[in-house]
Amino acid sequence: MLTIKVLGSGCANCKRVEQIARKVVTEMSLEAEVIKVTDYKDIMAYNILSTPGLVINEKVVSSGRIPTPAEVTTWVANALETA
Amino acid sequence: MDVLSISLKLLEGGLGNLAAYLAAHVLLCLLPAFYIAGAMTALIPKETVTRFLGRNTPKIISYPASAAAGFLLAVCSCTVIPLFAGIYKKGAGLGPAITFLFVAPAINILALVYTGGVIGMDLAIARLLLSLAFGIGVGIIMALIFRREDAEHDKATDTMFAGQAAMRRAALIFMLVLVALLVAGTFQFDFLKQTYVEVTLPIHGMDTIQAFLYRLVPFNPARGEEGVTAQGAILIGMLVLIGLTSWKGIERIHEGFNTWTWVSTGLVGLTLLVAALGMIPAAGALTLSLTGKFFGVLLSVIVLGWMLKAQLSEDETRDFLWESWKFVKQIFPLLVVGVFAVGIIRELIQPEWIEAIAGSNTLLGNFVGVVFGVFMYFPTLVEVPIAQMFLELGMHRGPLLAYLISDPELSLQSILITAAIIGRIKAWTYVGWVALFSTLAGLIYGAWVDGASLGLVSLYLVFFLAALAGIMWLVNRRNAETAVVAHLS
Repeated sequence: MLTIKVLGSGCANCKRVEQIARKVVTEMSLEAEVIKVTDYKDIMAYNILSTPGLVINEKVVSSGRIPTPAEVTTWVANALETA
Repeated sequence: MDVLSISLKLLEGGLGNLAAYLAAHVLLCLLPAFYIAGAMTALIPKETVTRFLGRNTPKIISYPASAAAGFLLAVCSCTVIPLFAGIYKKGAGLGPAITFLFVAPAINILALVYTGGVIGMDLAIARLLLSLAFGIGVGIIMALIFRREDAEHDKATDTMFAGQAAMRRAALIFMLVLVALLVAGTFQFDFLKQTYVEVTLPIHGMDTIQAFLYRLVPFNPARGEEGVTAQGAILIGMLVLIGLTSWKGIERIHEGFNTWTWVSTGLVGLTLLVAALGMIPAAGALTLSLTGKFFGVLLSVIVLGWMLKAQLSEDETRDFLWESWKFVKQIFPLLVVGVFAVGIIRELIQPEWIEAIAGSNTLLGNFVGVVFGVFMYFPTLVEVPIAQMFLELGMHRGPLLAYLISDPELSLQSILITAAIIGRIKAWTYVGWVALFSTLAGLIYGAWVDGASLGLVSLYLVFFLAALAGIMWLVNRRNAETAVVAHLS
């Protein structure tokens, strides 16, 4: 079971990252939970300097930009291997 | 006048203002500015600046670095708040964080370019320089006032700010060419205004269209209003086309480029070229004049197109186009509504009111400018057409600058966010200092406009800063003494 968190207060880029994450999850037909984190205290706990941030199984994989679906797929695959 | 004719007149004012804005001002200054903002967000790695904002960086570097970060990195609120919280809690501390917070909204590239294009370069430059100086000033003052609390830094390590990344040379050149495009399109140099080639085309009907447009959108040149030319109408049409093609091509860009992506990007270049042309319709003919401006824009657009295709990586191109489009999508609709509203409001305000309150460079006038800026919240960039309206209604340029600095700086929204991160007392102290500094910025700039020499103006500034430093030093010493006494007892 994978936990994917999208860090961001709700700006356009954060929504886009959430969409991409959900799409990847559906495409890989995974059992995963996509959580949006909007509270600043929680976001700052991940040591990122700009949103949107993407966290897979509590590990920050990207911040400050929108990753492509291909990148997200790779990260998810890596996370599945180590899990 | 009955209600119907009054509301018709108001509507006419709004539409006229909007049409004139879209046709005249927006294109050559705002369109490149949106792309520069997009390029800054997409192509500048944040680490190039943030590595100077770590906890162990000396103050003499961290303050200018946070001002630079405000200018370079903070075009979007997505960056401002996390970076502000990060600098405050885990990086250089309260002072540089406040400097960053002050500088970011006041002098982002879009606001500066737009101010320069619509109101005048002198005001844009004053806005830039005074915001930088006062941003650093407010940061230092806040750090001094709250230096005890500031010592309680988060225990997290410095690694967050230790990353190093260099900007790719191709990306840097790309941005410089974008800036060149902006300069060629908007600056009023003689060699840019001069016509080098003139072509007369046998196109009929342009003059009748123009005459029709002038009737449709009546304007009064004496009040500084502008009409919509035939060229303006063409440009508005092209803007709509850009919007439509971008929606198809860039909205889903993360799933890959498609034909529409390139159509819309090409259209932007074409629109810039048409906007740079001089078009003079006459009976039965259309004269095109190719000015230095046109050739400058042509050259920049060609270089940009080539770099986009050949020099930037796919990721860079995608991020660049997406970020630029995001800014357009986020800001442009608000700007359209804002400009329309300004056109309506302008019909209602009597010039005498403005002149009585802020017609000259007085303390009261500047303060009123600031208060108006704080209590009125306008979306990004809308403050500029509003400032232009005030200017035309007779406001002095000093109070105008005071308003322009305080409006984006302080709004209820930003005060609340700041309070959530640094606490209410610090936030309101900050608000007080910003109000004071904005008033002062207006006064100083106003004195310069009124003919005070640069030396005298700088003398005022130095005197004020010295007085401030003196007070701070006294406070500091008294606190140190009490601390020693407390320690001894």
